[in-house]
Amino acid sequence: MSVLQRNNVHVHGKGPPMVFVHGFGCDQNMWRLLAPHFAETHSCILLDLVGSGRSDLAAYDRARYASLQGYADDLCEVLAAVTSAPAICVGHSVSAMIGMLANLQCPDQFAAQVMVGPSPCYINDGDYVGGFTRTDIEALLQTMEANYLGWSSNMAPAIMGAPERPELAAELTNSFCRTDPEIARHFARVTFLSDHRAELPGLRAPTLVLQCSDDLIAPRAVGEYLRQHIPNCTLRGIENVGHCPHLSAPSASAAAMEQFIAGL
Amino acid sequence: MHDDPLPGHEQLYDAAPCGLLLAGADGAVLDVNSTLCGWLRCRKQELVGQARFSDLLTVGGRIFWQTHLQPLLRMQASVAEVKLELRWGEGAVLPVMVNVAERAWQGQLLLHVAVFVAEERHRYERELLLQRERAEDLAAQHARDQQALEQAQAQALDRAKFAEQLVGIVSHDIRNPLSVIQMSAALLERGVGAEQQKAAVARITRAVQRTQHLIGDLLDFTQARVGGGLGIRKQAEADLHQAVAEAVAELAVGFPGCELRHERAGSGSCSADAERIVQAVGNLVANAVNHGDRQQPITVRTEGGEGVFRICVHNAGAPIPPQVLATLFEPMVRGSAPGAAKGVGLGLYIVRAIARAHGGEVSASSSAQDGTRFRMELPCG
Repeated sequence: MSVLQRNNVHVHGKGPPMVFVHGFGCDQNMWRLLAPHFAETHSCILLDLVGSGRSDLAAYDRARYASLQGYADDLCEVLAAVTSAPAICVGHSVSAMIGMLANLQCPDQFAAQVMVGPSPCYINDGDYVGGFTRTDIEALLQTMEANYLGWSSNMAPAIMGAPERPELAAELTNSFCRTDPEIARHFARVTFLSDHRAELPGLRAPTLVLQCSDDLIAPRAVGEYLRQHIPNCTLRGIENVGHCPHLSAPSASAAAMEQFIAGL
Repeated sequence: MHDDPLPGHEQLYDAAPCGLLLAGADGAVLDVNSTLCGWLRCRKQELVGQARFSDLLTVGGRIFWQTHLQPLLRMQASVAEVKLELRWGEGAVLPVMVNVAERAWQGQLLLHVAVFVAEERHRYERELLLQRERAEDLAAQHARDQQALEQAQAQALDRAKFAEQLVGIVSHDIRNPLSVIQMSAALLERGVGAEQQKAAVARITRAVQRTQHLIGDLLDFTQARVGGGLGIRKQAEADLHQAVAEAVAELAVGFPGCELRHERAGSGSCSADAERIVQAVGNLVANAVNHGDRQQPITVRTEGGEGVFRICVHNAGAPIPPQVLATLFEPMVRGSAPGAAKGVGLGLYIVRAIARAHGGEVSASSSAQDGTRFRMELPCG
């Protein structure tokens, strides 16, 4: 199976390449409100991380994906298969770090990094504020294992009617963010126990950090930490409650990104 | 007073048999009904304008809300039948099912939340999970049992084959001396000269000895394999140099035309069953005579010291192939060389059983340059 099938890669638009990598808990559908902004000027490469969305679940090798490096290797492979030009990498949440690791791995394939709600480490450590204690993360993993993912073989919350949004009726309802519980459990563990603070100073590419004003997963202190430790970093705040500004504040997110890209 | 036959919408909302909550797009609580407040053991004014919906969730639920449910709500405008746990302040954790719909109202998005207590379902799910774990354990146990059974079956089959082979070999090896005895007896019956009589009697005696030797081997084998190890009678201070020297001298008589040498070094004193050691040396020498180059000497070396007594039997000749070397001490392994099939194939097995009965071990090495060497090491405390 080719890497394009493995990662369910889709390319839209024309122009310099821009790759969008979704975070924990969903798939490339996450970019549906943001990516179209850029499809007129860029060729937008969308992918599903192996184990998520419509990627090849059979390719999910627990050893390869025991750390974020496995996903970073995949990202380098996908870019090598799709484009020879250096790409702007837009990574949400955990995939901001996946993008950074891939950038360190194959620097020629990247022009810049856009990190949406990134966190290099979720757990508080001395002066570092990640937002969670180890106990919180253990509780999260336990909660996930016991409640959400343990008993249903293909978890995706059901959908109800939405009379105000008839366009959704045409969508493949209830198909977003389907998750294999075993994989989600493992991915959660790998994600929330990851710590890539040490690699930050090595990132040479121009980097934009989009920091939400109220984000439980990536609190403001984390954005500030990234600005201080990534050499070529711009920090932009987005008025948004939650962890997904590309969905709940797509216009503000796109504007900040366009400004950053114009300055490259 | 107006007597309305039915409660108003306000009352229906407030007293609905499910928790109802209205929140802004950012999750800020705008309204909540009494049912949910009752379940959470809080007052309405603690929540409205003060809390977000996600504040009612456990830590795990909050992350799940942000990573899964919020994006889904944005994409598909609703989520249904989501299992969450609610908790307010220090109150008890309440397992619930939640439906959330995102609805536009006067130019802004609102979240309509309906909450159903799911204690029973929670218990049922836990029970299901538990049963699934049990089923997985049982399946794993079953797989292990199946494997053990297959192993036992294979072993039983091996034993049956082995017994069949043993019967075949033993029958064959007993028939030879018996036919010698029969022919010699027939000769004696016909009445022959004194010289011939003497030769016939000697043949009969050798045939009987061979048969006895074979039966001895079989008994030893049975004892070693089935009886929990070969029986030995240790003497406290056996002189193994002397015992082996005598054995080599006797063997030299038995193998005319072969040169047998005995070398000795160090102390010969060891706590051991000298008769069994002599038996082992006999088997090793017989093996060397049968499989080695008879034109070259066979050397038996005995060496004592530092708490160990070593017996080496060396012969020159074609090396033993590695695959044979690996199974040399297993019962009924016979050399593949033509005419090599002498004895029942228990000789080396018995050598090993004797070594092990003494708490020692036996090994073999073989190469074209150095010939074949068997090494028996016995602890001599």
